[in-house]
Amino acid sequence: MAVVQKSIALPRPRRPLLPAGALQAAVWILVVGLIVGPFIPMLYASARDRPLYEAGGILTLEPYRQLFSDGEFWKAWANTLQYAGLTTIMAVIGGASVAILVSRTNLVWRRAFGRLILLPILLPPLGLVLGWIVVWGPGGYLANLFSQRLHLATLAIDTIPGMSLIEASRLLPVAYMTCEAALARADSSLEDAARSAGATPSRVLRSVTIPMLRPALLNSATLIFTLAVASLGIPLLLGTARNIKFVSSYLYLQWTNAEQPDPATVSAGAMMLLVVATLLLLLRNRLLGAEARYVSIAGRAGRNAMLPLRGLRWPLAITIALYLTFSTLIPVLGLALMSVVVVLTPLVAPWKLLTWDHWHQLSTGEFHRAIVNSLEISLVGAILATALVTVATLVAHRSRFPLRKALPFVLLYPRATPGLIIGIGFFWTYLLTWGVGSWLRGSIWGIMLAFCVRNLPFAYVVMYPTLARIGEELDRAGRAAGAGWWRTCRGIVLPLLRPAIFSAFILMFVEILCDYDPALFLVKPGNEVIGTTMLSQFIQGSVGPVAALAVVQVTITLVVLGLGARLFKIGVTGGHDA
Amino acid sequence: MPEIDVAQLVKTFGDQRALDDVSFTVADGELFTLLGPSGCGKSTTLMSIAGFQTPNEGRIAVGGEAIFDASSRLNLAAERRNLGIVFQSYAVWPHMTVFDNLAFPLKVRKLSRKDLGTRVREVLELVDLAPYEKRYPHQLSGGQQQRVALGRALVYSPSVLLLDEPFSNLDAKLRERARTWVKDLQHTLGLTTIFVTHDQDEALSMSDRVLVMDGGVVQQIGTPEEVYRRPANRFVAEFVGQVNLITGTVAGHEDRNAIVDAGEAARGLRVRVDQAPQPRSSLTVAVRPEALIVEAAGDASHNTSNTLLARVTSVAFLGDHYQYELDASGLALTAQSPHQVGSTDVKVHIPPDACAVVA
Ligand SMILES: Nc1ncnc2c1ncn2[C@@H]1O[C@H](COP(=O)(O)OP(=O)(O)O)[C@@H](O)[C@H]1O
Ligand SMILES: [Mg+2]
Repeated sequence: MAVVQKSIALPRPRRPLLPAGALQAAVWILVVGLIVGPFIPMLYASARDRPLYEAGGILTLEPYRQLFSDGEFWKAWANTLQYAGLTTIMAVIGGASVAILVSRTNLVWRRAFGRLILLPILLPPLGLVLGWIVVWGPGGYLANLFSQRLHLATLAIDTIPGMSLIEASRLLPVAYMTCEAALARADSSLEDAARSAGATPSRVLRSVTIPMLRPALLNSATLIFTLAVASLGIPLLLGTARNIKFVSSYLYLQWTNAEQPDPATVSAGAMMLLVVATLLLLLRNRLLGAEARYVSIAGRAGRNAMLPLRGLRWPLAITIALYLTFSTLIPVLGLALMSVVVVLTPLVAPWKLLTWDHWHQLSTGEFHRAIVNSLEISLVGAILATALVTVATLVAHRSRFPLRKALPFVLLYPRATPGLIIGIGFFWTYLLTWGVGSWLRGSIWGIMLAFCVRNLPFAYVVMYPTLARIGEELDRAGRAAGAGWWRTCRGIVLPLLRPAIFSAFILMFVEILCDYDPALFLVKPGNEVIGTTMLSQFIQGSVGPVAALAVVQVTITLVVLGLGARLFKIGVTGGHDA
Repeated sequence: MPEIDVAQLVKTFGDQRALDDVSFTVADGELFTLLGPSGCGKSTTLMSIAGFQTPNEGRIAVGGEAIFDASSRLNLAAERRNLGIVFQSYAVWPHMTVFDNLAFPLKVRKLSRKDLGTRVREVLELVDLAPYEKRYPHQLSGGQQQRVALGRALVYSPSVLLLDEPFSNLDAKLRERARTWVKDLQHTLGLTTIFVTHDQDEALSMSDRVLVMDGGVVQQIGTPEEVYRRPANRFVAEFVGQVNLITGTVAGHEDRNAIVDAGEAARGLRVRVDQAPQPRSSLTVAVRPEALIVEAAGDASHNTSNTLLARVTSVAFLGDHYQYELDASGLALTAQSPHQVGSTDVKVHIPPDACAVVA
C-alpha cells in the first residue's frame, strides 16, 4: 500500500507571517500595561508636592504625611473595617447556609432558590441600593409605613450595621457560589457514610459538611471583605448624609467636595487602599493554593441522598423566600413604583400621584445621553475586552510564552482593586499621555477603557474553566499536524471555546453597563454614563427620574442575561467565583 | 523513512528526574515500543520527540537531522517536525467531521481543494472509515475515533509515527483487533513507529524491539524474546510477565552453567550464565512459570539434575493452561502447564537454559 507514501506531493507547512511569540508578547504587554500601568502615574502623583497638571513640583512624601495626620482618615478606616467585617460575617453565614440547604437538603423549591439567590449580584448594584433607600431608607416608603401606620420599628439603614446589611445582601451570592461549587465538587458519599454510621442529619452537617467547606468559607470571606472595603455606592449614598465616612467615600469627597481639593493626598490614600487590597488578594491566593481555585465542576454523577429537614423544610424555605422578597424584590418594585409617581409617601395612595414625567425626562438631556453612552461603551467595551481576554487566556494557558505564568494573577488583579482607585489611576494616566490621553479624557472611550480593565477578571474567570476542560492534547494534535500556535488556536481551541466566549461577552456587557465608580473621576458633561448620572442626580434630589433610569438599567440587564440564558449558568457561576 | 536517534535525554520536574539519561535508536521502518509502569516517563519521552516537552539535556534527531539539541539550544517547533502522533485520548477534534479532522493538516499545508479531497478519501479508505466521513466524533465508537486519530496522523505522510497508549481506552476484545490492525498497517506502510504502552502483552505481540523503562531510567532494550527470556534485571523480569525468582550462592562453575545453592530445596542448581560469576557470591535467577516442567512424582523422565520435589498447594484452571502453586521444601514456585498433573506430589524440572541471572 504505497497509498500513504506519496500519491500527492505534500508541501511542508509554511511559517506564519508573524511569529507566534510576537503576537503573544504584544498581548502580554497590552494586558499588563492596561492593568498595572495606570497605577504608576498614581504612585507618581501621590508623591509630589502639587498636582501633576501644575508645572514644576518635586518628589516628596508630604501627601502621605498629611494624609496620615488627618484624624478623619483614620476614623474612616475604623468605620470601613467595621463595615467590611460585619458585611463579611453576614454574607458568609447567609451564603453558606443557603448553599448547604440548596445542595444538600430536601428544602422545598431548592432549585428555584439556587437561581434566585444569585439575582442581587447580577442586578445593577447602584440601582439596588437606590431601591433600598427608596423603600427602607430614612423617609422611605415602607420605613414610614411601618413606623407611622403600624408603629413598628424598622432597621435604620443609614447606620453602619444597616449599611452592612445592604452590602451583605449584595455580596451574599459570592459566598453562596463559592460554597455551592465546593459542595458540588465534594463527594457526598462522605456524608452518606456518616449517616450510615448512625449520625443524625444535624450531626452530619456539623461534623462533615461544614468542616469540608472551610476552604470555601475562608476564600469567600476574604473576597467579600475586600469587595466591601472597596465599596463606594452605599457609603456615599447612605453614610455621607449621616457624616459616617468610609475610606472610599472619604477619598471621593476629598477629591470632589473639599474647598481645596488635594489630588496628591487622595492619590496617597488610593495607594494605601491599593496596597491593602493587594495584600488581601495575596492572602486569598495563599489560602486557595494556586490552581485549586479553578477546579472545574467535574460533575460527580449520581444523585446524592438529601439530608431530611423534617419539620424545618417549610419554615426554612419561607425564610429564604422572605429574605429574597425584602432584599431584592421589594427594592426593585419600589424603584418601579417610584418612577411613576410624583412622590412616594404612605400618606397618599400611589395611584393618586401617577405621572409619566420621570420617564419623559429620560428621553432628553443628561439622562438620554447617559443611556446612549452606556449602551455604546457596553457593546464596544464588551467586544474588545472579550477579545483581549480570550487571547490573553490562550497565552496564559496554551502557549510557551516565557512570562505567561504572570498573566492569571494580573488578569484577576482588578477584581480586588477598588473601582475608585482604577478611576484615579486612569485619570492620571490620561493626563500624562498627551494627545491620546486627552482624547480619551474628553470622550466616552476613556471611561470605557477604565470599565473594561475593571471588569476583565469576569471574562477571565468565565473563560478559564472552559479552556481547562478542553484537553491540551486537542491543540497538540493541531500542532503536530503542522499548524502554528495561532492557526491551532483559531482552528481548534477558539471554536471549542465559543460558548465561554459568548458568556464572557454577555457578562462583560452587563458588568460594564452597571459599573460606575471608576467613572466618577473621569466623567465630564457630555460623556456621562448611567451609573454616574444616577449617582449625581440622586444626590441632587431628582429621585424620580433616577428611579426610572435604574428601572431601565435593571431591565436591560435582565433582557441581556435572558438572551444569554442558554449559557446563563456558566456565565454566572464562573463569573463571580474568583 | 528515517531512523530516530535519541541521546542522553534528561528531563526534570522540580526535583524529580522524569527522564534520566534516556538513549535509544529506532531503525528505519521499525516498530519500537516504550514499555513501563505508569509514571515511568514514557509519555515524557514521546512528547519530547514530538516537541511538546523540552528536555533539560540531550539530543534528538530524525533521519540524521537534529530536531532538538539542548547543548546548541536547538528546539524545532512541534508543528515543524512533521511527525504523526496519536494521543491516548485520541484528541479527535469534536467540532469537526471525520473528513474535516483529516483535512485540517492538509489545509494547513495549503493543498488545493481537489487534491485535498482525493488525499483525505484515500486515507479514510486506508483506515476503514470511508462511510463515516460526514459523521462527528461523538457519533463514532471508541475504535472508530481511534482510527480517525490514526488517519489524521497519517494523512500528511509524516516521517515517523508516535502512538501514546492508543489502545488503553478500548475494551479488551477491540484492543486485540486494533493491535493486529495497527501492526499490519504499520508493516505495510513501513513507517518508523514509536509505540508507548504499559501493557506487556501489547508490547510483546506488536513490537520489533522493546525498551523497558522504570523511574525515567532505561532498564533494557531488546527484541520481545530477549526481554522476555533474558531479562536484564529483576525489574524487567517482574514487569514483563510472571516470574519465579530464586536466590542462592554460587557454588561453582561448569561449562556455560553456574552451580547455585538455593537453600535446602535446590542445591546444585545449574543455571546458564554468559560469564562466570564470582564463587560464593549471591545470585538471583529468574525463571518463567511456563518454562518449569511439572510431572507426577512417579514419572521416570527428567530424573536428572535441576529437578526438585515439590507439593502442589493450589491449582487454577485458566482455560488454555493450569497454574500450579508449588512448595519445594520451602521454596515457593509458580508453574504453568497445559497438562493436568494428577497428584499433589510432583517433580519440577528447571531447564538451565530457561534461567536468566537478574542480580
Ligand atoms: N507537566 C508535568 N509537571 C510535573 N511532573 C510531570 C509533568 N508531566 C509528567 N510529570 C511527571 O513525570 C513522570 C513521568 O510522567 P509520564 O511521562 O507522563 O509517565 P508515563 O510513563 O505514565 O507516560 C511522572 O512521575 C509524572 O508525575
Ligand atoms: Mg503516559
